[in-house]
Order: sequence, then structure tokens, then C-alpha cells
Amino acid sequence: MDLYRRTLFKLLGLTAAGTALPGCEREVHNLVPYLLPDEDIVPGVANWYASTCQECEAGCGIIVRVMEGRAKKIEGNPQHPLNEGKLCARGHAALQGLYNPDRIQGPLKREGRRGEGRFRPISWEEGLSEWVEQLHSHARTSAMITRPVTGTLASLFTTVINSISGRLIFYESTGERTVKKANYLSFNRRELPYYDLAHSDYLLSFGTPFLEHWLSPVSFGVAYGKFRQGRPMARGRFIQVEPRLSLTAANADRWIPIRPGTEGLLVMGIGQILMREGLTRLASSQQASLQRTFTSFSLDDISAATEVSPDVITKLAHELSSANAPLIMGGGPAAAHTNGTETLMLINALNMLIGAIGRRGGLQWAEPPDSPVETVQPELSSEQMLTALVQEFEEGSRSLLHLYLADPLFTLPPSLKFERVLKQAGFIVSFSPFFDDSTSMADLILPDHHPLESWKDHFQADTIAVPSWNLSQPVVRPLYDTRAIGDVWVEAAHRLGGSLGEQVPWNTFQDMMKTRWEAVLPNHHPPLSFETRWRNALQQGGWWPVDVPRQQISPDMPSITYELPEFLGNISDFPFYCYPYPSLGLSDGRGANRPWLQELPDPLTTGMWGTWIELNPTTAKALGINPGDQVRVTSEYGSIEASALLFPGLHPDMIAIPLGQGHRAYGRYARGRGVNPMMLLGPKFDRQSGSLATGGTRVRVERLKGGSKLVMLDQSKQHPVLQRMQEMGGVS
Amino acid sequence: MGVLLAFLAGGVAMGIGALYSTGSADLPVQDQQPLSFSHRLHAGTLNINCQFCHRYATQSLVAGVPSMALCQTCHQSIKNTTPDLQKFQTFWNQNRPIRWVRLQRLPDHVYFTHEMHLLAGLSCTSCHGKVSRMSHTPRAPSYEMGWCLTCHQQRGASQDCWTCHK
Repeated sequence: MDLYRRTLFKLLGLTAAGTALPGCEREVHNLVPYLLPDEDIVPGVANWYASTCQECEAGCGIIVRVMEGRAKKIEGNPQHPLNEGKLCARGHAALQGLYNPDRIQGPLKREGRRGEGRFRPISWEEGLSEWVEQLHSHARTSAMITRPVTGTLASLFTTVINSISGRLIFYESTGERTVKKANYLSFNRRELPYYDLAHSDYLLSFGTPFLEHWLSPVSFGVAYGKFRQGRPMARGRFIQVEPRLSLTAANADRWIPIRPGTEGLLVMGIGQILMREGLTRLASSQQASLQRTFTSFSLDDISAATEVSPDVITKLAHELSSANAPLIMGGGPAAAHTNGTETLMLINALNMLIGAIGRRGGLQWAEPPDSPVETVQPELSSEQMLTALVQEFEEGSRSLLHLYLADPLFTLPPSLKFERVLKQAGFIVSFSPFFDDSTSMADLILPDHHPLESWKDHFQADTIAVPSWNLSQPVVRPLYDTRAIGDVWVEAAHRLGGSLGEQVPWNTFQDMMKTRWEAVLPNHHPPLSFETRWRNALQQGGWWPVDVPRQQISPDMPSITYELPEFLGNISDFPFYCYPYPSLGLSDGRGANRPWLQELPDPLTTGMWGTWIELNPTTAKALGINPGDQVRVTSEYGSIEASALLFPGLHPDMIAIPLGQGHRAYGRYARGRGVNPMMLLGPKFDRQSGSLATGGTRVRVERLKGGSKLVMLDQSKQHPVLQRMQEMGGVS
Repeated sequence: MGVLLAFLAGGVAMGIGALYSTGSADLPVQDQQPLSFSHRLHAGTLNINCQFCHRYATQSLVAGVPSMALCQTCHQSIKNTTPDLQKFQTFWNQNRPIRWVRLQRLPDHVYFTHEMHLLAGLSCTSCHGKVSRMSHTPRAPSYEMGWCLTCHQQRGASQDCWTCHK
């Protein structure tokens, strides 16, 4: 009886509390007026400002919706020639960079040991004096690793670093240096061509993840839409060749799985057939030089090595020859091996054979603009060049390190020993707005504004129909006590004095930009004042010509010595190829501190907020691995543990792992989440470009005890692709 | 023991109930403005047009609460004879905005623009009543959907759900 009564009382009490609690919230809304009204702000009415997205290097035009002085939404700039009003998830999530709770809110100085993570806030005056003092005391031993910047900022960095005999390194882990190197070796052009996908009717792509993260995914997405649906009478056909079914491959009419690293052989096979059957669109005299390149392997050998049947190779050749405007693209996993550049050069040669060079629906190079302002984009450094820097820091010929939006400690494999630079450096200054893994090792942090708070300009010549000069303008007032890196460097140039002060005579970075833009902006008839032209450019998001003439490309191609890929780790101990691929949302990891991107499910696996290890179901069965099991992947250089995910769209001899997670720092959303597959990779480089061969390290896989939790949108324990294939009777 | 528990539960319930009523009801205490502003004086006696102060009503979703500087344009030439006027001056001198209690508020799922309603020829008083006769502006009685729809029906305005619930 007692028990019943007690239960009743407890229930009564709980019910009363449960009912009443929501009412406890006192909701009083306030109306807070401006002290002084801003003439440009009408509360409730949005202002849109044109600017440039800086989340990746593509440089899409954006327009930002600002209400009452706060940036609320980012959209693509409909007038911009690159992205034509479209924008990707990363561009939209730029707002979470601006309002990120883990932004560095003012200059900081290290306390305690380096890397311990203890900093104390200092004033800008103290920070600047300290930095300039260090520049004096480490004269001629400076190095700067920055994300690839262009325009005025690149010019400023170059001027200052040259004047102190420093070394300037533009580095980006997803910079596709192999594509740029192959382009230079094949066509003698520094800028990448405009891939006229929109007017092509047949696309053969070797691994290019152009709908995900390759070069300029938004502009490729726009062109792809036109390629498939933009013409009433024609729908472009699209074939993707790669060992793992990427999102791009999933969009293709046909996916041809291939043995990793042998893409070049398949290109050769197609070229052989075209030449043998007289199906090329190149004069025979010009073709002769390519003859040897394409016939160094027999078709049977090619078929055996690539695992693509001779019939399929022949069919591809015939489809290419019968298309009106075929186009071939190469990159991504096809370029992630020691023969990456050679594979891409073969693709360039095949494009020449099918007459795609300079043609509508093919590859086109815009004539470089006739401008007094430099129009060459800075050359990117390879991972191999960064290993040389490690040596310089160890020898002591470099001792002062600057970092700007580059996180080599995270994006480079530990086997390249970059950690030694951060240990050996006499002093480290970072200008990054976040505590990324490398910035956490800094001695002094002089945080930059967010791109939506600052002035910048960018010159864009890669993969665009007309070269464009893009402008970024502050759309909101700075939220914190940060300073634009341009202004900080202008100030440092003044303090360093001497001839540098004369080379950088401007008071602010904006003044420097405007001086350069006087040369960039054309003056039409009737002539307009510079201020008017500048305002027009700001309103438009930059300046670009309506059209430019195309360059003539010489049909003479260099001879190509193709070699089979090399791998680290012998096949008996490490039986699997390993391909760490940049994630759609997080890229190489820089998106990991944006919750919107973390919760963006990977389109093929539906995984999010973590790392998973993709295995082919057949392979998993042989190893006794079930979905969700904890597995360990080991190479000669390291090992990682994560949850297994069975993915049928994968070569059975391959393990694929998304990049982007496994940060040691980088704020609350990124820190300690997932693992970084870079831990596995050894120092294997592409022979020609020196880029890290991310597919060049072999691994083994073993099952560990227990399972692990991977957040997936799809809760049906089985992979949606696998399920679909089983329904179709494809996989047992 | 049982009696004790009953008292305890009753006490907790009463306490929570008291909290509940404080939170949900529109008590005069809650609607107390930081300083006493009279619409009767400004819009009535002085006959200042509504849109002189609420100047965004014809171009925005919101009518806008006047900036402190706008108040000051007149008040700089008015002697601070009452405690409220002195209070205003203190706010202004300290560069502090007055945090007015918001009395009229529609739920987030309602899309409403002042601009459209004024352009359609409605006057401020159609919805807000004759504030020119109120010395203390009360909380809006209730802007309920039925009330909106009656007017929309009478005036032949759109009754599509999407008009107000975007």
C-alpha cells in the first residue's frame, strides 16, 4: 500500500514539475534602437554586397546578404563568368567561418612550451614590434608558407619576402600540381585551359572528381548541366575511369573501374587503336612524333595491367572518334601516383589526337590580358619542395617561419617530418584566424580578418573562359580585434624601412590595391573617373573582359617516357592500394571546423562527423570484416583505426579513406574527431612534379575487437549502393 | 510519512505554479518600459506623424524604432523638467540605447511586412488602434490569424496560406 502511495506522490510531483517547467521561461523581447542611425541601413531590408569566395582557390564570385550590419547568407554572383550564380556547400558555410566561436580574437603570444597551447593576449603594437624585431634578428633566414594567394597580396608578400631574402612558398595540398605540371610540359602554358565541357558531346574523364572538389567544381557543375541538359537535341555522354566510384563517377553513363595507377596505359591503348585505324584528327606528320609514345605497350599487356578488356578499349576509341566534340580530362586518383604527370601528359596527347585542343567543346587557352599588372599566378610548391625546407630548417639556414592559412602539420604525412621545422624554427609567426594544428605551435599569432571583413583582390586565369580580376570587400565590420594581413604586412614594410619602405609607399593595403586597380580597370569612352570605375567594379565583384581571343597551341608535343607506378611497401605484407580522397565538404580538412560541413553526409556512403574505412564487400568477407567493425589500416609508416564501411564501388584491392578529420586542434568541432589517413602515407612523390603520390603507399587491413560508432544518415546498416546492387542481382 | 510527502509535493507544485504564472502572463511588471514614453503626447498632443519616428514602415518589414539621435533632434531643445526626461538625457549622455520592451510581436512562422500593408492603403491605426489617445501603450490585444483573415476577406486580399506562411 505504501509503495502505491509513494509512487502516486512521486508521479504527482513529477507531473506538476514537468507541466510547469516550460512556463518558467520569461520571454521578454526588447527593441534596441541605434544611437546614431546608419544612412545605408534600413532595418528589415537587406543590402547585397558582391565579393569573392575564398573557401577554396577556385575564386567564385559571391553576393552576401547583409542585414543590420550582419552577414546572413551567401549566394553565387550571377554576373561572374566562373560560377554564373552558383555556389557550393563550402561557399555557403563561409558564414560559419565568420561567426565561428573558435576564431582567434586578437593577437596572442605564446606562454609555456611551444605547442603547449598556452597563449596570452597582447596588443597589436606589442605583436607588431615583436614580429619586426624577429625579422631583424633572423635576417635572411625567413620562410613563409601561405595558401596560394594572387593579386595584390601575392605582390606584397613577394616584395617583402624578397627584400629580406626570405623564401616564399605557396602551398595547397589539393592544388592539383600534377595537372599544372603536365599542362606546362605538354603545352608550355602556366595557366590551366578552359575545359569547354558545356559544348562538348562526349566526355572521357580519367579520375577527375570535377563534380566534387577538383579545381573549380562549381564552374564544372554549371558546365556539366549544360553538357547534359543545355541543348535540346543533344545530351553529352560521359564515361568515368577510376578505381573508386566517386560522386562524379556515380553521375556518369558508364564507370570503368581500373587498376590504380594504370590509367596512362589505358590512354595509350585508346591512342594505339585510333592511330591504327586512322581515326585521329591530326595531320600524319604531326602524328608521327606521338607514334612511339602510344605504342610502347601492346594492347594485350595494357588490357592485362589495367583490367579493362580489349573490347572496352576499342569501344572507347570508337566512341571518341565518332563524337563531334569529344573531350578528355584527367586528374584526381589518376594523378595520385608516381607516374601522375606522365599519365596526364598522355591524356593531353590524346586530346591532341582527337583534335580537342583549341576547339569549341575542347581545351582552350585565353590570350593573356594585356595589362601592366602581373597576370601570372604564383607557382605552387610541391610536397617534395617542402621536404627540402625541412632540411634548411635543420641546417639552420632558415629559422623564422611564417604561416598563413596553411596547415602543413596536418596536411602533410608525418613521414615527411615537417614537425621538425616546427621544432627547429627559432621563431614561428602565424597569421591564421584559427588554431589549426600548425598555428597551435606558433610563438606569435597576428590573426587575419575573415574574408568577409577585409579587402583583397584575386586574379583568376585557370579553367575560366575569360581571365578575371575579382574583388573582395568588407561586408561587415570586424567582429574581433583582428587585422587584415595586408595592412599588417604594409605596416611591417614601413617599420623595416630602407628601400622596402619606398617599394611599399601606401598607408593601407586598400590604397595599394586601388593603385594597382587603376592599371587594371580599362577606361572606355566616354572616360570615367577612377572612383566611378572602382565603384562599378566593387558593385560587380571585380572586372573581366566580355571576351578574349584564344591562343594558338603548337601541335608539337614533347615525347613522354611513361613508367609504371611505384609503391611503398611490398605486396605480401601490404596487399592493398590505399587512396585517401579529399572529402566533398571538408576538403583536405579546412572545412572540419564548420558544423554545416561536418553534418553534410558524404553523398555515396552517407557518413558524417567522422572517418570511415571503405572496403569492397568481397574483400571484407575474405577478411571477416562486417560493416561497423573497428579495423586497423597499417602501412610501413603508420597505422590508423576507424570503423569499416563496405562500399561495392571500390576496386577489391583498394582501401579508400576520406580526408579531413583527425585534427589535433582547430576548434571544438574538429578537434579529436576521426583520424587523419595522411598518417599512413610514405615519402613517395610524382616523378615530374614532386607532388605527394597519395595513392603510392600500400597498406594492410585487420579487424579489431568491437565495433565503433560512425554517424550515418542511412541507418539501414547496409550501404545504399550495395543494397541497390543486390536488388539488381549484382553482388552476392 | 505519507502526509509529509503530500505536503512536499503540494509545496513544490505551488511554487512551480507561481513561477509559471509569472512567466506566462502579461503582467504589468513585465511590460514596464525603461522610461515612461507617451504616444498620447507625441502622436496626439504634438501631432507628430507616426512615420516621422517609425520611418521604415513604408519601405521595410519592420516599422523601426527611432534611433536615439532622432529623439535627440527635438529633445536637445527641450528642458529636462521631468524625471523621465532626465533619464532619457542620461541614456544619451552615456551613449546607451534605451532597451524598450517589445509589445507587438508576431510569431516566427508569420511573414508580415509593414510596407505592403501601408502600400495597400491601410493606416497605422487600423491595426495598432488609436495610440494617440494612449498615455501608456499596452501590449497588443492579440494579432490572431482569424483577425488577420477577417480583414483580408473584407478587403479582397490574398487568403493563400503561402502569403503569410512562407
